[in-house]
Amino acid sequence: MGLSAPGETARSERHPLPVLESGRLDTGIPQNWLTTRLDYVINWARRNSLWPMPFGTACCGIEMMAAFGSKYDLSRFGMERMSFSPRQADLMIVAGRVSYKLAPVLRKIWDQMPQPKWCVSMGACASSGGMFDNYTIVQGIDTILPVDVYVPGCPPRPEGLAYGLMMIQEKIKGETLSSMAFRAEPEEAVGRPNLPPESIELVAQPFGNSTAQNRASGLAATSAIARPVDRRERLLEHS
Amino acid sequence: MTQATAKASPRLIIGEGTSGADPESHASVTALRASFGEALKEVASDAIGVPVVTVDPSLVFQILHFLKMEASQAYDLLADIMAVDLGAGRPLRVWYQLWSMKNGRQLRVVAKLPLERLELPTVTPLWDTANWLEREVYDLFGITFRGHPDLRRILMPENYEEGFPLRKDFPLRGRFSRSEQTRRALARGLVDTYAEEELRMAGIVSEVAVRDAPPDSLPGEVRGDPLEGQPLLLNLGPQHPATHGVLRLVLQLDGERILSCVPHIGYLHTGFEKTCEYREWNQVVPYTDRMDYLAPMLYNIAYALAVESLLGIEITPRCRVVRVILSELNRILGHLLWLGTTAMDLGALTVFLYTFQERERIYNLHEAYTGARLTPSTTRVGGMLADLPPGWIDGARNFVETLPKTLAEVDRLLTRNAIWISRQQDVGIIGPDDAISFGLTGPNLRASGVAYDVRKARPYLGYEEYEFDVPVGEHGDCYDRFLVRFEEIRQSVRIIEQALDRLPGGPINIDDHSVVLPPKSEAMGSIDSMIAHFKLVMEGLRVPAGEVWYSIEASKGELGIGLVSDGGTKPVRCRFRAPSFINLGVLPFLIEGELVADVLAANASIDIVLGEIDR
Repeated sequence: MGLSAPGETARSERHPLPVLESGRLDTGIPQNWLTTRLDYVINWARRNSLWPMPFGTACCGIEMMAAFGSKYDLSRFGMERMSFSPRQADLMIVAGRVSYKLAPVLRKIWDQMPQPKWCVSMGACASSGGMFDNYTIVQGIDTILPVDVYVPGCPPRPEGLAYGLMMIQEKIKGETLSSMAFRAEPEEAVGRPNLPPESIELVAQPFGNSTAQNRASGLAATSAIARPVDRRERLLEHS
Repeated sequence: MTQATAKASPRLIIGEGTSGADPESHASVTALRASFGEALKEVASDAIGVPVVTVDPSLVFQILHFLKMEASQAYDLLADIMAVDLGAGRPLRVWYQLWSMKNGRQLRVVAKLPLERLELPTVTPLWDTANWLEREVYDLFGITFRGHPDLRRILMPENYEEGFPLRKDFPLRGRFSRSEQTRRALARGLVDTYAEEELRMAGIVSEVAVRDAPPDSLPGEVRGDPLEGQPLLLNLGPQHPATHGVLRLVLQLDGERILSCVPHIGYLHTGFEKTCEYREWNQVVPYTDRMDYLAPMLYNIAYALAVESLLGIEITPRCRVVRVILSELNRILGHLLWLGTTAMDLGALTVFLYTFQERERIYNLHEAYTGARLTPSTTRVGGMLADLPPGWIDGARNFVETLPKTLAEVDRLLTRNAIWISRQQDVGIIGPDDAISFGLTGPNLRASGVAYDVRKARPYLGYEEYEFDVPVGEHGDCYDRFLVRFEEIRQSVRIIEQALDRLPGGPINIDDHSVVLPPKSEAMGSIDSMIAHFKLVMEGLRVPAGEVWYSIEASKGELGIGLVSDGGTKPVRCRFRAPSFINLGVLPFLIEGELVADVLAANASIDIVLGEIDR
């Protein structure tokens, strides 16, 4: 494909190939070509040159910086070109807690990124609100925008982020140009929450340790191990 | 209580009158009595012996004016303004925490405000730093400050409708449902994110900001071509690579010159202070990590020291030295990140890679000790989470032995670098008087030539026993702030070396099992330990009723922890006087009249971390 090893170049200089009438070199092979699927080659190019848009807000942002530093070196995945402009980015890494004051900013930046685009939610706060189940923190950024990969941890180690990014690469492998309908962005969805209100209530329900503070904050008690289905029933009871 | 405190806290406030228990004999209290008499409602002393003077709210300005201006008092640093809500309809309290550089004295002035009359005179004419502090109290408690030049919400969105979050009647999760909160957040438009005068400047006036105003009330130029003769409005952030987080600056430009700068903060407001009121004393420790995530252990240690001063307990000698080592390691950690990112902001990427290598080595030490790299939650009330693991001391010694080599490399890259010098020297200058008035602390204040370091002024953890210098700048510009921080890294190395040499043996935790958990082996072996274990886990630690405002020297400046306990298992009020919050307030002063490129240099040089600014 136009590339040759340095050794070959040296050899061909020593023994120049004969030139055909058309001006091409006579390599003895009829034509250099290969076949592949268009999807495969496009996905190969996309997943190995992702331009991340680092939306680092808090502690996770520092671990993200560590991941871009020399020890963990995300350049190995073709991701060293951080794009601070959303218009030239195709991967958003939301690293850290997102407050309701920041939510419109986050959504606007996501809307500004061109398709195809992916989103990594790094850390507990971005994924679920983490240890901050209070008046100011968004209970998971998936209420605001679609998320492809969640990286758990508080904060995740740089290896964790690298693994999450490799999962994004895996996900890109499965994409095809023939069904891009899910990438459509209808105008009425721009700047709107990603989930309907009842789903936001559902995912923002207290869980785990935070059930203890229900009593203090005056909400109905929930079970620490309530599964989503149970929660839906309870929600209906309350409504 | 006072007896126990005097024995327990070796860090009692310097100055006459405070070593004894009687606050009435404090020089400032007697002077206030002589001048104001009846206006002093109550005089008491807090857990570390700082006199607390409760005064008539209508005379707050006169009293603070007297305390600042009177030569014998000279309380020139307003360290903090905070409010306390005890709930149940009791009056709100507003604390003014003062420090006198000249006399080396602390004093707290308290005003009690009944709920139906939440109003105080502003003290912004006395201290510039009061501007943001009062805005914060207004934002979170709804207390109005008469005469304040710019009383807007600061942390919450300006059109926040749910109320005042830190009041006790405000539910932890807010008043609206989650879906409603999300909907309202995303529905905020342009008008809601700019102040009105900013819109006016940008010429957007005719469209939005004046929808209610009668047309003849507008200035003439606005009615014509909105952009003609108007300064340019430049929005920087909140998503910008060089604002060190989600800081947003609205700049008004005349060409390249900055006419004015309005910082908008609160994009990372996390509700730490509210959430901590719902957590037990030891459960607060993980939250402290996440405020200054660049130097987390300093927050851990400050919080633990504050609670211990309320309890009146003295930690073990080994614990003190371990905390000194960890404090200084984290000071280095914070300064290294500042160094790397500042150099990156000014175009020198190499330094970032060098300093992050060293940070990784400190992370390794964190990890060996606590298991976490960045959020170690290392202290417990009365001690540490565990003793140092075997081999850790050697690792720390190896680190401080080899760090100076990297520092020398960075020094060679930056200190005499022509670009570095021309970007930093004579940029963002602030003199000592202004710096104190703006409440600057830490390296920023010292770069302006004021040698105020809490480690020297009110030594804690036995800092008076260590030999170290406090570097002081001369010009108060960005370059001096760089030099001061750089030298502080070297001084921290010196302190760690001394601490490692003198690290005593013995237990790391105190022996009082009503405060710290007994060792697991004992908990299973003896019934007393088992009961103590059970009570601590099930009921939680109880801290006697009292209040304290305790401060240490963090990597960014003076970190104050204001705690109020009612004798229960959770704090009633948990205030963090975040040094970056105060330091950032000076940014408009530093950059007005400078060029756009200097904004980033000045912003980087004051070393902010948004986690603690917005809290």
